[in-house]
Amino acid sequence: MTLTRTLPMDPYLVANADAVLAGARQGDAAALEKLFRAFESPVYTLARRICRTAEDAEDVLQETFFEVCRSIGRYRGEGSLWGWVRSIAASKALMRLRRNRYRDTDELDDATAPSRREDTALRMDLEAALERLSETSRAVVWLHDVEGYTHEEIAAMMGRTVSFSKSQLARAHVRLRRWLGEEVDA
Amino acid sequence: MSHLSMEALLALREPGVEPGDVAAREHMESCAACRGELERLHQRAARLRALPALRPSRDLWPAVRLRQRIESRRWQQRWTGVAGFLAAASVALALFWGDVARPEAADASAEIAAARERSQVLESALEEYNPELRVIDGRTARVSQALEDRIAELDQQLEAAQLRQVQRVEEEQQEARMLQLWRERVGLLNALVDVHVTRASNVGL
Ligand SMILES: [Zn+2]
Repeated sequence: MTLTRTLPMDPYLVANADAVLAGARQGDAAALEKLFRAFESPVYTLARRICRTAEDAEDVLQETFFEVCRSIGRYRGEGSLWGWVRSIAASKALMRLRRNRYRDTDELDDATAPSRREDTALRMDLEAALERLSETSRAVVWLHDVEGYTHEEIAAMMGRTVSFSKSQLARAHVRLRRWLGEEVDA
Repeated sequence: MSHLSMEALLALREPGVEPGDVAAREHMESCAACRGELERLHQRAARLRALPALRPSRDLWPAVRLRQRIESRRWQQRWTGVAGFLAAASVALALFWGDVARPEAADASAEIAAARERSQVLESALEEYNPELRVIDGRTARVSQALEDRIAELDQQLEAAQLRQVQRVEEEQQEARMLQLWRERVGLLNALVDVHVTRASNVGL
């Protein structure tokens, strides 16, 4: 699967990229480490936003770079390097999410959630609200709104339909709006 | 007309025109509430993008590197084995040196080292025999495949345990776990040697 849509500018550049890539393809440890250092934070950020725990995110970071080291020879320079690394990271994070699906407890139902008035009083901050979403909704909102993937790409990565991705995104925004106290009474 | 749903608002942010977009845009023209909603939607997405970048709490490169080295070593071991057939003596030795004969109270790391060595003996026995180049019957193939799958599974678990040990996570439990995994691995390799090599020599190959 190729994921073509990337941010307009590659935000994470590797200094002396051609030489680093050539070294990495030969299995040169210093070059591989340079790649790791260039991308460890963005990969970890993506993983941490999608996964429930820091431990899961660390595992995703390791799995991602293990895969990068193993298949850097297959990266042919089409699309940005970050786009390529990110697609590996996203698929590892989603794989973990699938593995943990049994414990993907949905965010609190309306029945058990605090009433709206209390909610508004709570006014969670954005990170707390994001964490409170179900894993699937959080993954979709992050991949779509932050990483810039299309619904088609998200659907392909998650093995779901485009309309599933769209409805998860809408659901996420409805929840976030409420939890952030942004609901306007009609 | 009622206000736009979240789906309809989100559809307006997508590139291209989707069914319903025209009507939605018309509604927006005359509805300040929905314009406000769309604006807040934009802002929410922008705030998500502006969340700070995160970093892991410890350096994970050594662990990645270790795992990569283990993998490439295994790969080399698997494919650059000594060519030629297995000497009957080394099979006999391998089979005789059964894993039942493990010392009673040896400490775990010594036993792990022994099991590791034993694994290598059995693996090179298999490699020299080179089952991949032989015609084997369906049943043998199935049994062999099942054993190999389980060994691959064990290898992943061993790798994970080893990583945690390197990272100093519950070192003692990891050692006990590794010992148990190595024992099972030796047992499976014995079975695999038995399936291929012993059977072959019994039929006078
Ligand atoms: Zn309206």
